[in-house]
Amino acid sequence: MDPVNLVEALEIFKRALPEDAHPLRTFLACGFTPLHLQTFLAAHLRKRLPKQRAEVKTGLFGDLAGSIERLQPSECDILAVVIEWQDLDPRLGIRSLGGWRTTDLPDIVKSANQAAARLEQALRRTSEFISVCVCLPTLPLPPLFTTPTRQAGAYELQLRQLVASFAASISSESSIRVLNTQRLDELSPAQARLDVQSDLMAGFPYKLPHASAIAELLAALIQNPTPKKGLITDLDNTLWAGILGEVGAEGISWDLDQHTHMHGLYQQFLGSLASAGVLIAVASKNDLALVEEAFERKDLILSKESVYPFEVHWSRKSESVQRILKTWNIGPEAVVFIDDSPMEVAEVKAAFPETECIVFPTNDYQAIWDLLKRMRNLFGKSVISEEDSIRLKSIRGAGVLRESLDATGGSLDDFLQSADASIRFTFAEQAADNRAFELINKTNQFNLNGKRLTEAAWKTYLNDPATFVMAASYEDKFGPLGKIVVLLGRIQRKSLRIDSWVMSCRAFSRRIEYQSLKQLFEKFDAEEISFDYQATPRNGPLQEFFTELLGSPLTADMRLSRAAFSEKSPSLFHRVEEAVNG
Amino acid sequence: MDEMETRLVRCFSSVFPDLTAEQIRSASMDSVPAWDSLAAVTLVAVLQEEFGLQINLMDLPELVSFVAVQNYVRKHKAVS
Repeated sequence: MDPVNLVEALEIFKRALPEDAHPLRTFLACGFTPLHLQTFLAAHLRKRLPKQRAEVKTGLFGDLAGSIERLQPSECDILAVVIEWQDLDPRLGIRSLGGWRTTDLPDIVKSANQAAARLEQALRRTSEFISVCVCLPTLPLPPLFTTPTRQAGAYELQLRQLVASFAASISSESSIRVLNTQRLDELSPAQARLDVQSDLMAGFPYKLPHASAIAELLAALIQNPTPKKGLITDLDNTLWAGILGEVGAEGISWDLDQHTHMHGLYQQFLGSLASAGVLIAVASKNDLALVEEAFERKDLILSKESVYPFEVHWSRKSESVQRILKTWNIGPEAVVFIDDSPMEVAEVKAAFPETECIVFPTNDYQAIWDLLKRMRNLFGKSVISEEDSIRLKSIRGAGVLRESLDATGGSLDDFLQSADASIRFTFAEQAADNRAFELINKTNQFNLNGKRLTEAAWKTYLNDPATFVMAASYEDKFGPLGKIVVLLGRIQRKSLRIDSWVMSCRAFSRRIEYQSLKQLFEKFDAEEISFDYQATPRNGPLQEFFTELLGSPLTADMRLSRAAFSEKSPSLFHRVEEAVNG
Repeated sequence: MDEMETRLVRCFSSVFPDLTAEQIRSASMDSVPAWDSLAAVTLVAVLQEEFGLQINLMDLPELVSFVAVQNYVRKHKAVS
């Protein structure tokens, strides 16, 4: 993290913003005077997103739930909500003199429950239109309870339980992200948060470093950076302790008895990543037979099935990384490489500067612990989708497909006919989930124009009655690929206008793109489809597809008639299904 | 301009970015329209952070010009 003091924040704040930059309008809702929190939040957002016009607006203070209820979703792109205890009941703050008698305590808990319910309703409603980031109460509760401050009393615990339940409930909404109080505790000590004088005199309850820490974490929540997709790990003295070639498969360890438990924790962590859809590969200079023997050990925490591919040989690590990236079909910027040898790390970093390359700190317990936390930040995601759970399987399937094509001498028709493929098309709300949004914003190769959408623009598009969203999921005998096509368009009488069209590179060579167009013509009874096409440095596969289909140079407003499509479309062997209820 | 004055000018500049260093040295609540109560509170926070002072907000009515602020900081910095 990168602490910023108020002078620095004000200086960042006064820097000119790029005129043509994409705006990011954040509405900061809090019950107190936002004052320096607004400055810090704007500064941290501008540091994180220098190419955007990050602006922070605020509404009326003193009525947190009311200001969220009154918010028009068109006014902003993101809502940041900072809740303090006094928003649940004014008597939980120090500016109110509403009474701390023992007889008041049950009523405080009761009214806090009502306030939390109202807040929850307002947040859920707003999250239907824009993304919401929420910071739970951070200040100490005032000494209003009858127990000594060393002892937690029943009413205090009820209030904390209320906030925990509230947080757990709203976090189930995919558009609501809750700031992690454990992380805030690390950055901002509890005793250095409340500024009593400032709260009473200026209505701003935070000491400056605390305001900066909240703003820093909120900015990170708002930015919500794209997680890394794959991790490439070394084996000896990394995944396990010991050199396999010297001590053999039975000599390597990852347990408490041999003081090598941190390697077991590392394995356990990799298993966690794999279960969340992160791709795990091995790049090791080793004897393949020995590695296979080691992975047969029943006590290995990371299962062999979670790893694909294994690059085990004596060639350079950068060559292994190159092959792994090709197998996964992702860019070097999307992976992390971990090895205990600084030399190997340097060699990979030189070949792939965009890759996050990390030296595994063998024998340094604290450093390994810190590494696990750092990796959770690199790979962490808000929601685990169905596609995450099948990603590795579909990549293995793609490998089999390539091998099968090679084996059949390249006859795609024969191969596809025997693939037992099915495509499931979905429309409207059923199509427009997080996965669809993710595909629009990360797909490069089969992408109509490379245009990315903010969460707010995505929701605005979905709420426009003139538009439609179509998605497709695919499965064949090699396994499911999940949702791999998203298409955004609008209906114009007997023709369709396509604004966005992306298809995952995992779905290439299956004629899914033809089936998608066929579905559009049939579903909407369209005579013509026009495309908002734009060449990008990376959408070569899409350009090839259209060049073949249209037989002419591609233009920004290219059109395809139903007749021309029927003439050019190759044989399609998929079973097609349109989902009725998702 | 001594070191303290340089730091003070920087503090003022962060709160009143439109003023030049010369304008800052002659600034007062009467001459700077942007010097409202919000700016005054921000200025106090910046001064506390920059000089490690604990400024009593009851003293705000004293801090009505650059010169007044300079005198206040010199006095309290010497005490702390």
